[in-house]
Amino acid sequence: MADRKTTNKISRRSALGLMGAAGTAGFLAPNLLGKPAFGATPPDAPTGRIIVGLSQEPTNFNPLMVKIEVDDGVHFSMFDALFRVMPDGEIVPNLAVEVPSQANGGISEDGLEWRVKLRDDVTWHDGAPFTAEDVKFTLELIVNPEFRSWRTAGHTLVREITVVSPTEITWRMEEPFSPYLSFLTETFIVPKHVLEAEADPNTAAFNQAPIGTGAFKWGNRTAGDHISLTANPDYFGEGPYVEQLVFKYIPDVTVLYTQFKSGDVDLLGRMYITPDNYAEAVTLPNRVVKLEPASSVETIYLNLERPVFKELAVREAIYAAIDKELIIEALYYGLPEPVETFMPRTSAYVHTDLPRHEFNLDRARQLLDEAGWVPGADGIRAKDGVRLAFVNSTTSGNHLREQLQQFVQQSLREIGVEMTIENLPAAVIWGDFWTQSQFDSVVVGITYLIGPDPDVTNRFHSSAIIAQGGRGSNNSQYKNARVDELLEEGSSTFDTERRREIYMEVQELVRADLPFLPLFSDNSIRAWKTGIEGVEHNGNTRTETWNAAKWYWAT
Amino acid sequence: MSTLALPAAPARWWQNRAVRRFARHRLALIGVVMITFLTFACVAGPWLLPYDSLFIDLRARFSPPLTGQHYLGTDPLGRDIAARLLMAGRISLLVGFCAMVLSTLVGALVGVIAGYRGGWIGAALMRMVDAFLAFPSIFLVLALAALLKPSPIMITVIIALTSWMEVARIVEAEVRSLREREFVQAGRMLGLSRSHIMFREILPNAMGPIIVAATLTVARAILLEAYVSFLGYGIQPPLPSWGNMLNGAQQYLASAPWLAIVPGITITMAVTSFNFIGDGLRDALDVRSDPV
Amino acid sequence: MLVFLLNRLWQSAILLVIVSIIGFTVLNMIPGGPLAQYALDPGMTQADLDRLAEQMGLNRPLPVQYLDWLLRMLQGDWGTSFRDGVPVLQVIQRHLFATLLLMGSSTAIAIAIGTWIGIRGATHRYSIFDYSATIGAMVALSIPTFWFGLVGIYVFSLRLGWVPAGNMYTIGNESVLNYLHHLILPSIVLSLVNVAVWSRYMRSATLDVINQDFVKTARAKGLTERRVLMKHVVGNALLPMITLAGMQLPSILGGALVTETVFTWPGMGRLFLDSLGYSDYPVVMGLLMFSAILTVLGNLIADIVVATVDPRIRVG
Repeated sequence: MADRKTTNKISRRSALGLMGAAGTAGFLAPNLLGKPAFGATPPDAPTGRIIVGLSQEPTNFNPLMVKIEVDDGVHFSMFDALFRVMPDGEIVPNLAVEVPSQANGGISEDGLEWRVKLRDDVTWHDGAPFTAEDVKFTLELIVNPEFRSWRTAGHTLVREITVVSPTEITWRMEEPFSPYLSFLTETFIVPKHVLEAEADPNTAAFNQAPIGTGAFKWGNRTAGDHISLTANPDYFGEGPYVEQLVFKYIPDVTVLYTQFKSGDVDLLGRMYITPDNYAEAVTLPNRVVKLEPASSVETIYLNLERPVFKELAVREAIYAAIDKELIIEALYYGLPEPVETFMPRTSAYVHTDLPRHEFNLDRARQLLDEAGWVPGADGIRAKDGVRLAFVNSTTSGNHLREQLQQFVQQSLREIGVEMTIENLPAAVIWGDFWTQSQFDSVVVGITYLIGPDPDVTNRFHSSAIIAQGGRGSNNSQYKNARVDELLEEGSSTFDTERRREIYMEVQELVRADLPFLPLFSDNSIRAWKTGIEGVEHNGNTRTETWNAAKWYWAT
Repeated sequence: MSTLALPAAPARWWQNRAVRRFARHRLALIGVVMITFLTFACVAGPWLLPYDSLFIDLRARFSPPLTGQHYLGTDPLGRDIAARLLMAGRISLLVGFCAMVLSTLVGALVGVIAGYRGGWIGAALMRMVDAFLAFPSIFLVLALAALLKPSPIMITVIIALTSWMEVARIVEAEVRSLREREFVQAGRMLGLSRSHIMFREILPNAMGPIIVAATLTVARAILLEAYVSFLGYGIQPPLPSWGNMLNGAQQYLASAPWLAIVPGITITMAVTSFNFIGDGLRDALDVRSDPV
Repeated sequence: MLVFLLNRLWQSAILLVIVSIIGFTVLNMIPGGPLAQYALDPGMTQADLDRLAEQMGLNRPLPVQYLDWLLRMLQGDWGTSFRDGVPVLQVIQRHLFATLLLMGSSTAIAIAIGTWIGIRGATHRYSIFDYSATIGAMVALSIPTFWFGLVGIYVFSLRLGWVPAGNMYTIGNESVLNYLHHLILPSIVLSLVNVAVWSRYMRSATLDVINQDFVKTARAKGLTERRVLMKHVVGNALLPMITLAGMQLPSILGGALVTETVFTWPGMGRLFLDSLGYSDYPVVMGLLMFSAILTVLGNLIADIVVATVDPRIRVG
């Protein structure tokens, strides 16, 4: 335990340091650390096969169409974006030859004019050359009102896209928007010559057998079972070193783990080994099992418009009554790290000196007493006719969260707070119930950032409350004028130092206001067969296969 | 639960014989004994056990059976499984029983009206029955469970909503064949009202098949509740039910198999009992129907 | 006969419409919907969600959506899956093989064992075998299938390691043997209930036949008991069994659902649960209609068989 904590602190600090250092140093360092001591080298020609086990099925193969996390695995392996984000948060060129900035003139002083230079040695899987026309087509397709595109934030600000030459493109932004660079790391470029010919991009044949520029080409798909990709020998970047990359869908995590043990699956990512199996997993022969900080933060979201949660004292009291340490130790086998902020631990912007949570039932009672909440006949506190009672929900079937709920329920009863559990199926709870803030409180793990950018306007700006006519996902209906002000400034400045200050202050304010109770940040258990080299965790992407091009079997 | 063994219908010529036949049916008696035992244990048990079914003790989590006074071990939150099993039994049996009552009432009502009225009303009602039967019942249950907030009452209603068709079909067929019999004709000539004839004259004669179907519905309802709660759509924690005790057990199958085995055996016992009783009743009440 | 057939077809069509209305209504009344899965995505704004609802036609009034669906359906267009943009019929077809494989093998097991138990029970009525078979069948019908599957996985896969814990085959080894290895446990678990049902049917069907005159005659003619059984009893008892098989067609989806979930079998049952989970309305509706059509067809065939075999019965 102690060991792991130190490592995390070191990596966090080194990440911050590297952030400041420019260019290749930051790019290389994690790779050096990741390389095994005996220095295995990748094969000359792609050989072997790696089977990745997933508990959800990737079903969407057009990288621009609306998608969920698990689809990203396929997209990262088959496509390229203009830029790529590295594990330490640094943005490096991918299809572009350099990352535009105000310093190198790629972005104008006012942040409005963008100029991106592209590689000239890239070809699509069908042999056609990649040019700036493809980039223009991609950016235009995203905002095509007929097209069922994924995120459009940022893209809707783009105007006057001009192809200067096959290797150079420019555009103008409607307003300065610094997070856009990060957004572009997740915007995969699609081939104009293929999609242009399709009548309806939503039902294009391309969507079932996509053509990209990436390290792997489309192989075949057995619906409900697996997707198989094959190596692209003409890839412009490093790799690929394996001949076949297979995504195997096994909906049940227990079966998934069993198949990993038996060797049917070569690599597991994310939360696919449950904490109770961790102790056994590390003892498995010929398997590498690693803990990697997850970018999502497990929280109890509160709906601040509910009378019981309006008062800060109540929120503080409930927070104080939750025995975080015991929950982590007992229910989660000591794997997660307690946190106080929404910012992922891996982010360069994380605030590490926020007030520490302290489990203290007496303090909780005292807070409630002082605020005038008096226990009634049934032992539940009340004030001005409002009972201190609320409903807590989460996705039904999530056993660990259900255990957490029941434990919290018991603790809260001890301070005279009544919590009722009403869980809902995933498709129900994350619908209007969540977006329109119809809940009292929800146990939820949230990834706050888009790529590495620290902007959280969507989550905490008062204009982002859907239930009040806003257009974001400020589901706890949090309002703080100072936070609004900071967020507005943060998303319009390109000054890294100023942005650091801004997001530090935002974290302090949010911690003090407690629109949600931060519980912990998970360490996801990642595992693969000994002999697979090149696997690296990247908390700035949503997938474990972000760099599958570099994987290889040591021989 | 013993009321089930005694046909609730008014005293008729067959009653004594039926009781005697039922008593001779060994399986049915085993069923009655088992279910009586289970019911008694669920009612009285929780007071006799040293632990409360809701008491969380994280230090004692995953104790295997026969650890100290945890006779059946503990669950992932360190709660006593024996206590939870019996509390769960109260809920599961009650849900099963109430769902049976509800679905039998609905089914009998629809069946009697459809069978007696016939014509387009009958046809429409029976097409409705066919339509409900054409769904995989699990779809209706899952969809409704997502639609309505899950509570024991809602689960009961949902299960009843998806299991009344059997009774309706049986009753409809029975009523249709009774409709033209002498005592009904006589009633009609006496000027008795339609509802009087339907519910006072005809329905009691269809009691045999209804009772049998009802008994089997209890068995079915317990199984459905178990499956829905197993998937997490049913009875919500911390309230235990036999189904939601199995929820999550799959994850701990390798390390704590008793989490899955204990409730599973209990469910099987309860359902078997009702199936045995149903079989005995069928023989005793001389109900011709499918041998299953 | 023709009138009867037309009448039946007409009624079936109405039945299917009722089923589709109920299904569509219930499905769309569930709060949440197909866009819920994107709501936790930090980059998906409400504007994005609204735009998608518009593009997918989800913001139209429900009756309009239904009529649109029905009209397309009547033209043979089952719609397109929200999840992967593939036509629904193709989605179903892709999952059909796995389900048919599982159902087929478990039905084969059930028929083989069930027929044997049923006939033996009937010919040795009230023997210990008959009693154990009766009790066994009733207990088998009482075991929750999903739980039996779990116990099976625990014992034969986790403890003994004889069979895989799930899945249809190992990637890279798609030999028949590999399929069989994966098939053993789920098909046995699934056949448990079927064996019980079939053996009970077979027993009573045999009993019905065994005491009829022609069988008595055959026996009087001095045929061996075995030949009497094989020739007359089984032949005659199998007819109602075929009807039963027709009636059981629709249970493909329902029965497969539970087993496929526990054994992570890539068939229609799991497709159904997945699609329900993602609110993939077109696929869920497609599967519902598919199973309803099977039900209707099954009933129709059963009716026709009964009407042809026994002209005295007039099915109204």
